[in-house]
This record gives sequence, C-alpha cells and structure tokens, in this order.
Amino acid sequence: MTPASLRGWRLVHRWTSLICSANLLILCVTGLILVFHHEIQHLMGEDLDSSYTEGQARLPLQSLVDIAQKADPALVPKLLSFDPEDKAVNYIYLGKPEERGFDLGRWVVLNGFTGANQMLKQPEETLVGFLLKLHVDLFTGFAGQMFVGVMGLLFVVSTVSGLVVYGPFMKKLAFGILRFGRGTRIGNIDLHNLFGVATLVWAFVVGLTGAILSFSPLITGYWQKTELAAMTARHPEPMTGPAVPIDQVAAAGLAAFPGKDLAFIAYPGNEYAGSRHFSVIVRGHTELTQRLLSVALVDAETGVVAEAAGTPWYMTVLMLSGPFHFGDYGGLPLQIIWALFTIVTGVVTVTGFVVWLKRPRARSTSDRTASGAKLGSKA
Amino acid sequence: MRGGMSGVWRIPAALAGLSVVGLAAAILGDGIWDWLCWTTLSVPLAVCAVKLWRQWPGRSASL
Repeated sequence: MTPASLRGWRLVHRWTSLICSANLLILCVTGLILVFHHEIQHLMGEDLDSSYTEGQARLPLQSLVDIAQKADPALVPKLLSFDPEDKAVNYIYLGKPEERGFDLGRWVVLNGFTGANQMLKQPEETLVGFLLKLHVDLFTGFAGQMFVGVMGLLFVVSTVSGLVVYGPFMKKLAFGILRFGRGTRIGNIDLHNLFGVATLVWAFVVGLTGAILSFSPLITGYWQKTELAAMTARHPEPMTGPAVPIDQVAAAGLAAFPGKDLAFIAYPGNEYAGSRHFSVIVRGHTELTQRLLSVALVDAETGVVAEAAGTPWYMTVLMLSGPFHFGDYGGLPLQIIWALFTIVTGVVTVTGFVVWLKRPRARSTSDRTASGAKLGSKA
Repeated sequence: MRGGMSGVWRIPAALAGLSVVGLAAAILGDGIWDWLCWTTLSVPLAVCAVKLWRQWPGRSASL
C-alpha cells in the first residue's frame, strides 16, 4: 500500500468512526440490554400471554378476527400476523375500511388458543419498548430510523477501514500486545487494536444487518411496489360478492406450499393484497427456513389460489438480517456471547475516541522519536 | 516481534474464520450446530480476556 492510500484509509477510519461513535455507544448500551428482552419482559411481567394446554386446538381464525373486531367495531381486519417463535401469539391489524396502509388503525394481540385479548402497551410504557425505540429511531420516527441506518453504514465502513490500517500499524508489534505502562494513548491504541481486530467479523455482521434492518421500510416498500404490485396487477378483478371464510383462505394458501407455516394474511384492498385477492404469506419452520417467505394470492370469492411465488433475494437478506443482528438463534449461551461482544465493541468505541482525543497536536513533538512519529500518524 | 504481513494477519485471520463458522453454525441447525457456534464464537472473546488479564497493569508482564 502506498503511503498516500494508507493516509486516505486512516482519514476514512477516523471520520466514519467519529461521526457514528455517539450513536454507536447508545446502540451498544441499549443493545446490550435488548439482547435479553425476553428475559426482561418476563421479569417485568410484560410478556404476552401465550399459555395453552398441550393438545388444545387453536381457535378458528374467524373467531380471533371476530374477537379483535369487538375491540373497535368501526374498524375492519386488514392483516393477520403470526409469531414464528410463539405460536399462541397472533397479531391482528384493524384499520378504517378505506385504508390501504397501516397508519390509522390499531393492532390487537390475541392468544390464538384461548382468544384472550392482550392490550399492547405503548413503547414508552415498558422498559423494553423504551430501549427498543431509543435503539431503533432515537424517538424520532422514520427519519430517526434512517439516520441510525446511515450511522450503521458508517460503522461498517469504519470496521473495514480499521482492518486496512491495522496491518501496517501492527507490522512490528506482536498480536495482542497491550502496553499499559506507556501512557494513555498507547494503552488505548493497543486495546482498541486487539479488541477491534478480534471481534471484527461480529461487529461487521451486526453493523451491516442493523443497517439493513433500519432500512427495512424502504426494502419492504420496494418489494410491495414492484414484484408484489405486479403480481396483484395480474389479477385486477373487483369484489362482487361476499368473501369466503378466512380459515378457508389460510388453508388454500398453506396447501400451495406444503409443510410451511402461516406468517401473514393480508386482506383484499390493503397495499399488500389484491383488489379481491388475499395475500397468504408463509414461512418454513427451521431457524433458516422461517426467514424465507413465499406468497400466495387467494381469490376472496372462490377461495382458489390464483398465483404463488417466492420472494426476491433482498427480502431474504432482510429477513435473515434479523437473527444475525439480534443473536436470538442459538439459545441463552449465544445471547450471553452476543452481550459480551457488545461490551467489547463498546470498549473499542471508547478507546478509539480516547486515542483521537489524545492525538498529538503538534507534528514537531511527535517526530522527535521514531515510535512517536509512527503513533502520531495513526489516528 | 513478527516480521512481514503474514505474521500480522495469522491470528486475526484465524479468529475471523472461527467467527464466520460460529455465526453461520447456529442458523443451520440445533444441538451440535449450537455447540459449534458457542465454542467457536467464544474464542475471540477468550483471546481478548486472556490478553487483557495477562497484561493488566501491575501484573508481571508475560505475553
């Protein structure tokens, strides 16, 4: 590498890191706690009721929809969502009859076995909700979420550029050397280098998947406006009569994809369905295949599947970003590992910032010794 | 002291490889796959801990 390009990489590493460091610290602290959100919700009594007796039959979907609608008779069902981890938890979105989006209505959460209605608390009212909102959008909605996504991308560039500048810097140093007796700056540089390079792959993956998740409204919106819209446009017939029962729709959708589970059902007339076709979206049930979605359009008047398709690669990337960001795919040991990596990343963030704070101000002082000149050009 | 770039990258590359295996393992299955994930992902963390422990100020320096 030429000295000029190395200087360029150092600039990239310094500025991408500095810009995202404040947000990164918030993400580390909130993320560290959110890794254990299930455990915390359980301790705080905030977890959803998912109790049922073994062998108990699920309630028909129509009964659940009827129960949900009682919560607000002026609204109509628009979307059913099924929790992949907890099969007793069902989310039902009710919206205004003319509404195509998901902004004006409300979510109802039901136990799919008992029909017990569970009030969803506002995010500000629960510890996990508060931390999640802070983590995802800094309490500033869509704009904040995009901001956090950009910070995530800067962090990814920071990890890559950090790796590039690591090599030349460590050329004459043993791996993992920590010179704590040599002053604040050198001690912090060494700790930053060791912790940074040791956890680089994890940080890169969690940063990148976090950025992808931040942009999920754009990614899902793109799919809805292109492939899904093209699919529903091929079946433009209007509704002329009553719809078949929702359970028949679900069964037809499932029959199109043997061995899959329900993920979502969108009612005709909202933006994820046709004018007279339900969208039945299904997923597999292993750790991997539950992230792969497929969609069947089911004619609301005949109950027949009009068209069935997979989802494009970018939707699979988005869905797979979840586990690799949350660390929720390998039990409690993986959650603990995730938390430890988060702490290490926090240390890398802080030590990197200290190295910048303690940078030599004047070139002339750092040029006096060979090692001083080397460190002076580091950050 | 190590000379040359290959020496610089040997341990980081090994830790990166273990991380990739570990991150991928648990998504592929349960049981043995989970154990593969936990053990491989623990290595980078253990390296950080051991290096920190052995070079902590006041502790007799030995690398």
